[in-house]
Amino acid sequence: MPDTQWPRWEVFKQDTPDKPHQAVGSVHAVDAEHALFTARTVFARRPRTVSLWVAPAHDITSATLESLGAVTPDASAEEAQVFVVFIKTSHKRSMTFVDYAGTVMATNAQEALARAAEQFHAQVLAWWVLPERSLTKSDDTQIDSWFEPAQDKTYKQQSAYGFIRAKDAS
Amino acid sequence: MSGMNTPSNAVPALSPELRTALIHKLTALADDELILAHRNSEWTGHAPILEEDIALANIAQDELGHASLWYDLRTQLDGSNPDELTFFRDANAYRNAPLLELPRGDWAFTMTRQYLFDQYEYVYLNALTQSTYQPVADVAMKILKEERFHLQHTQVWVKRLALGTTESTRRMQHALNDLWAYAQQLFTPLQHETTLINASIVPDLPQVHQQWLTYVTNHLTTCQLTPPDTTPPNETRYTHTPHLTDLLNTMQSVARNDPQGNW
Repeated sequence: MPDTQWPRWEVFKQDTPDKPHQAVGSVHAVDAEHALFTARTVFARRPRTVSLWVAPAHDITSATLESLGAVTPDASAEEAQVFVVFIKTSHKRSMTFVDYAGTVMATNAQEALARAAEQFHAQVLAWWVLPERSLTKSDDTQIDSWFEPAQDKTYKQQSAYGFIRAKDAS
Repeated sequence: MSGMNTPSNAVPALSPELRTALIHKLTALADDELILAHRNSEWTGHAPILEEDIALANIAQDELGHASLWYDLRTQLDGSNPDELTFFRDANAYRNAPLLELPRGDWAFTMTRQYLFDQYEYVYLNALTQSTYQPVADVAMKILKEERFHLQHTQVWVKRLALGTTESTRRMQHALNDLWAYAQQLFTPLQHETTLINASIVPDLPQVHQQWLTYVTNHLTTCQLTPPDTTPPNETRYTHTPHLTDLLNTMQSVARNDPQGNW
């Protein structure tokens, strides 16, 4: 059966200005702008968010500590460009994220992975790299409209709502 | 700061005429949001993709929150109970524009209606932030923040559907043809609204209508959609289509089944 889904976009969310952007999941969308709107609704309604980035999932190249040996870090003939690097440092919690770590210059994704592994290695279990130009970022001048209203809304766990137990009803 | 600020919970004094007119206006503002929220909520579980299912459910909740803010201002004036107004008024007592009660149609219809209404809210609430009645200005400011996102979201959708495929373009133009005349009714004054306009509690309508037309026409032109020539619908905020009765029969059924129920 043909895949009728729209392209997949990875979503990176920043909770506060002093925290890194973290990969929180993905959305389907027709283009980058649409992906940002979709990401805002799915991932940023609650709790706090100050910035969102989206990138086409197919622009991301990843390696684990185990697979890194297979990476061929040769520079290619292409011009060097900025790659952004995300790292995963723990498997322990149920919600472990791939966090923004910084940037490297490289001519291709494989070289970028090798550079990322050199530069960001302490306790790193996995790396993601993607060309910086593949990222589309939320507009910082829209924070009051995109993210601030969420802070006034109460978030209730399911258990916060009353329910009638069978023995009460009888 | 002068130190003379009115406490935020104080209700400014109004003449009896203004008070009556404002109660009427707040009801219309709240009813618009409530009825649109209900129509949007009908998509929950049925939207074309999961992400937009969540988006529209969120927008429906936002609109419901806005309705609640307007009903609360009315409560300050007459002690009315928003739940009572919502669940125990019949269609003929609702003051929403018929635009918002029309059945949800297809996704093109829903997005076009939402866009036309979001753009109206954007220009109207902007003007309303200058209200001489401070509680209205405060609520307008609060709602406006969220409405800016709503408007951007529907602009994105209108553009992509209008310029998408032959089928999506056809559906969008069809939706616009059906909705255009109803949308103009958002700028028809209510009974007694003139007294509020003269007191600068609410903005004059021709000016916001013109602003709305400029924004909407620009975007629709970009999207290669053409507003139709239309005549005003027969239904108004005071008469309604039969669709409102159908909607209320669903929305009110549980509350009316057990009026003493504790939710």
